[in-house]
Amino acid sequence: MLTLFKLLGNKRLFFLLMGLILFIAVMGFTLGPRAGLSWPEKFTKDTVGFVQYIVYKPVSYITGFFEDIANLRSLQKENEELKIALAHYTRDKARYNSIEQDNERYSNLLKFTDEQKARNKDYEYRIAQVISVSNDPDNRSLVINLGSQNGIKNGMAVTSDKGLVGTVSHVSNFTSTVKLLTTLDPKDPNSNAIAATVQGNENKSFGMIESFDSDKGMFLMTKIKSDDPLKEGDTIISSGLGGEFPRFMVIGKVVSRQKGSYGLTDTAYIEPATEFSDWNELFVVITPEVPQ
Amino acid sequence: MGKRRYLLVLLLFGLFIAEGSVLPWFIPPLWQTRLIPHLVFIVILFVAVYENRHKALLLGLLFGLLQDVVYYGAMIGPYSFGMGFTAYLIGLIFKFGRTPLPLMLFAILTGSLMLDSILFGIYKLFELDHHAYSWALMNHMVPNMIFHFIFALAVYVPLRRYLENRTSRRSQEEKA
Repeated sequence: MLTLFKLLGNKRLFFLLMGLILFIAVMGFTLGPRAGLSWPEKFTKDTVGFVQYIVYKPVSYITGFFEDIANLRSLQKENEELKIALAHYTRDKARYNSIEQDNERYSNLLKFTDEQKARNKDYEYRIAQVISVSNDPDNRSLVINLGSQNGIKNGMAVTSDKGLVGTVSHVSNFTSTVKLLTTLDPKDPNSNAIAATVQGNENKSFGMIESFDSDKGMFLMTKIKSDDPLKEGDTIISSGLGGEFPRFMVIGKVVSRQKGSYGLTDTAYIEPATEFSDWNELFVVITPEVPQ
Repeated sequence: MGKRRYLLVLLLFGLFIAEGSVLPWFIPPLWQTRLIPHLVFIVILFVAVYENRHKALLLGLLFGLLQDVVYYGAMIGPYSFGMGFTAYLIGLIFKFGRTPLPLMLFAILTGSLMLDSILFGIYKLFELDHHAYSWALMNHMVPNMIFHFIFALAVYVPLRRYLENRTSRRSQEEKA
């Protein structure tokens, strides 16, 4: 340590300490929740984002082309499965329509308020193109090509075709940063736990997706009541309780369930539905605005 | 002369874009969480050793800040501080006139480990990371070091020639 001081010299050491203090101040300032980005940040993000957008798309096409060749054989099987899924879909669609109409009639009969009606509305999905990826283990994030000009706001959920991916963490005019669910952390002031439930058992099951275990590559779901019917293989979806977060976004499948650390509630490990790699198109879920 | 000066910044910017938008496509999915190359940083280390550590400090701060702002997830500052500080220190330690190849590669390994350790330390300080250091070391720091080593080997000859040409030309101009 002494040799390090000698090497650095008095003036250098002074500058180093000043720099350290400055940087810790900047980090502390930018760590907490912020109202929005300042214009220099927005400007840099949008300029860099534009260049990244130009680069990312052709590269994804080229690598995607080679991947497609490799996947050619499994294509036929996938096609068959999709046909079966489509048949199921057309059958369910008729059922869905009648239930939907019943639902509307009942909500009119019961005189739902506008707010209650808005809560039952479908969400709007906006297609976003990923333009760059940072795999920093403590701060995994993506940049997408939609910004505040497209109506994106902080905290909106982002999904892929398979399941929930993350939430929008910072928005500039034409791009925004998506914080992946792998950074979920109960100690982080910016990360909120997601209220979750089981598909097909929405009224009986409840738990909170609180953190991501990067050793296992799974989410940890906590606060599950001991008489909860949740079991292995169940599909976990977001419940939308609490209002802000959209309902019924697929999160993953239950792998195991065990007693929690205090024994009062259970915890479960959830395998994510998305793979968190090779990003292409994502969907930003826009929740309908509730008229005040 | 002015053109040549901007060429380096342009090169670094190009690498920055490649790092985020091109490279992830060539890393197999299983390795995407474990291999996080900082190509810009490696070139900045070359600048620190073969050109000028103050310039490297400035470039490190600048491109670190760019990384922080563009991938703003938790906070701004870790990359800026880590890249600037490491580049300066590596320039201070490893600059002996004409640094040979093995020493430069050793500098790359040290710098790579140092940057990842500083990042780890900062996230640990703000309680955003709950892993042990040994886990982080095996998970991404060592793979990163190996990748950076290979990258440095690949760019060593052209980059050193380019950087030393710049410095020698500048000193000639100063003499004249």
